[in-house]
Amino acid sequence: MTTLTEVPETSAARETPARRRRRVDRLPYLLLLPCLVIIAVLLLWPLGQVVAMSFFRLNNVRQLRGDREWPWVGFENYAEIIGDPFFLTVLRNTVLFAVANVVLTMILGTLVGLLLNRLGRKMAAFVASCVMLAWATPALTGTIVWKWIFDDTSGLVTWLFNALPDGLSTSLFGRSDWTGYGWFNSPLLFFSILTLVVVWHSFPFIAVSVLAGLKSVPSELHEAARVDGAGPWKVFWRITFPLLRPVFGILIVLSTIWDFKVFTQQFVLAGGTQDRPTFMLSIYSYAEAFSPPPKYGLGAAIAVILTLILLVVTGFYVRMVLKQEEDA
Amino acid sequence: MNRWKRLAPVTAVVASAAMVLSGCGGSDDDAAADNSKLTVWMMGEGSEAQTKFLDGVETEFRQKHPDTDVVVQYVPWLEAPKKFQAALAGGEGPDVTELGNTETQGWAAQEALADLTGKFGGWAEGKDILPDLVQNAQLDGKQYGVPWYAGVRGIYYRTDWFAEAGVQVPKTWDDLVAAAKAVQAKKPGTYGIALPGNSELPFYSFLWGAGAEIATKQGDSWKSGYNTPEAQKAVKFWTDLVTVHKVAPPAAAGWNEIDARTQFATGKAAMAFGGSWQQGAIKKDNPEIEKVWGTFPIPGPDGQPAPAFAGGSDIAVWKDSERQDLAWDYLTVLLSKKNDAAFAESLGFFPVYQDLVGGDKYTSDKIMAPFATAMQNTKLTPLTPKWVEVSRTKTVTQAMNSSVIKGQKTVEKATADAAAEMESILNAK
Repeated sequence: MTTLTEVPETSAARETPARRRRRVDRLPYLLLLPCLVIIAVLLLWPLGQVVAMSFFRLNNVRQLRGDREWPWVGFENYAEIIGDPFFLTVLRNTVLFAVANVVLTMILGTLVGLLLNRLGRKMAAFVASCVMLAWATPALTGTIVWKWIFDDTSGLVTWLFNALPDGLSTSLFGRSDWTGYGWFNSPLLFFSILTLVVVWHSFPFIAVSVLAGLKSVPSELHEAARVDGAGPWKVFWRITFPLLRPVFGILIVLSTIWDFKVFTQQFVLAGGTQDRPTFMLSIYSYAEAFSPPPKYGLGAAIAVILTLILLVVTGFYVRMVLKQEEDA
Repeated sequence: MNRWKRLAPVTAVVASAAMVLSGCGGSDDDAAADNSKLTVWMMGEGSEAQTKFLDGVETEFRQKHPDTDVVVQYVPWLEAPKKFQAALAGGEGPDVTELGNTETQGWAAQEALADLTGKFGGWAEGKDILPDLVQNAQLDGKQYGVPWYAGVRGIYYRTDWFAEAGVQVPKTWDDLVAAAKAVQAKKPGTYGIALPGNSELPFYSFLWGAGAEIATKQGDSWKSGYNTPEAQKAVKFWTDLVTVHKVAPPAAAGWNEIDARTQFATGKAAMAFGGSWQQGAIKKDNPEIEKVWGTFPIPGPDGQPAPAFAGGSDIAVWKDSERQDLAWDYLTVLLSKKNDAAFAESLGFFPVYQDLVGGDKYTSDKIMAPFATAMQNTKLTPLTPKWVEVSRTKTVTQAMNSSVIKGQKTVEKATADAAAEMESILNAK
């Protein structure tokens, strides 16, 4: 702040105090303005459009162009979605998947973060760059590779399971020949693989953020705790976790948002929008809106529902985090 | 400003050069500008053969319209629906486009395509086009597309493996299972038949072969045929190939036709469903296979070849095009009997003209002859723009078969569910 106020002070030394204050106050808003304009054009305007569209019956591309009327239907789109028993399946899939993924991502990310903190300089650099590689891989490319790994004929996993001794494989899984096994056939198996792919993509960010947090914790605290006879478990829950609570709070919020709207990985693994039993809200919205015949209004309504759920969930988290900080 | 001044002479030179090259001066600039370019969208990646063929069509077309430049753009098949939507939403589309013949009605319902009823009625050659295909490009009695090429699915098989196992070309459903089992037993590690469990079109041959219909229109509403014993028989046969006879793997539940074809091409399956146009792709995967492959029509339960769906492409004129007459002229050149026969042959498809498909042109071709036989007995999927939702979006048939293969539903439950879902979509307001 001092540097910001110094500059106008020297140049406007002869101006009245009142005028000076106004000019200083305006500066932050001016600096924010370009960002706000970009966000408004690219994010808020489309968001408003989606909300508006969810109240109309839009089944024709020409309506989007303005060539045809937009018939107002009120909450009919919402009623249609919520009244469809399929929506329950989709909602259940979405929530269970998000919960499982947030938990697993947080656990794995934290463990790797702790590991990175303990490793020596060279090893930490090596592990960190390996981890970052997973993060840096674009979702699309990474998922295609995973899909190949689980290919039913020539995939690595199929090969590995085939390499198991026949007796062991039969006693464990009831089959010894894995060639042609449908890895994506059952929804549970599909979601397990999807979880693997999504966690693999998202834990590096958690690990690096936790590491950054850990670096800011004075090492004396840990040492003192250890001297007092606390084991690693106790040190984490009594020292590390309370100190990093804001970091964990924000990471959980971010992970929740990301895992609720997973799309790319699911789209690639499921091979498009055909596997309806494994639908989650984001792909459901896409499929309704853009698969022929288009139902933009219905798709928009699903997107709004997804947004509302996210707002509620994140709002709840943010409140919890803030409250804990007040209590602490 | 300085820069513009410096560029001015360059612009003048380029402009005059262009005028000289085009050889027609600049007198009727405004009128010519409108028809100076005709945009044509073609599906797929654009093979060398196709590009060469289209160059020839352009030359022929320009004899009549020397001032029109034909610009061909290739659109990958899977991208096409998005590209069409974007073109329709933005207002900048092609003048002429190819599209899959299962999609024509859907896009006509979206008001993407121009009504060609009048033009088509006045076009002499068009009267010889196979009536099933013509009808498939209609919506509410109006013609929105013109069939370009067509093909049917059959079964590819390994002649060498069949000989080793001592089995003949299957003529009935029982033959098919027996052959698949015999070859699979003889060749461990391979599948008897590569079943595209996630595709609908090969399955319809079994459905129709069993005597069932997909859906029929009764008065104002559609009635699904999936609830009938005939349809259940077909579903049971199709899924039993995996679950009971085990001549295809469980993963087949998720295979589409390309997956299944690849299994055959790479020597992992003795038989595979495929269209005549897939010869090229199979040969590309395995050039050696040409010596040891054959085809036969999909058999019915009782020894007659089953009816097949005539898949293929239509050519349509974009409704927003300002050059619809020009577009139609291009279409008639592209679809002339001569060009159609040449192009269909290069793709491994059949031309759409009755007189070109029949006759004995194909009898000596060991791959094409069985397909030509199947072409004589084709059927259509339900003629309603809502069919695309059943077929592509909700994938009702694929889901029905997959759920049985995966063991999630019984045949009775799966067919009943599918019938109910199909009727609710087709009869929706």
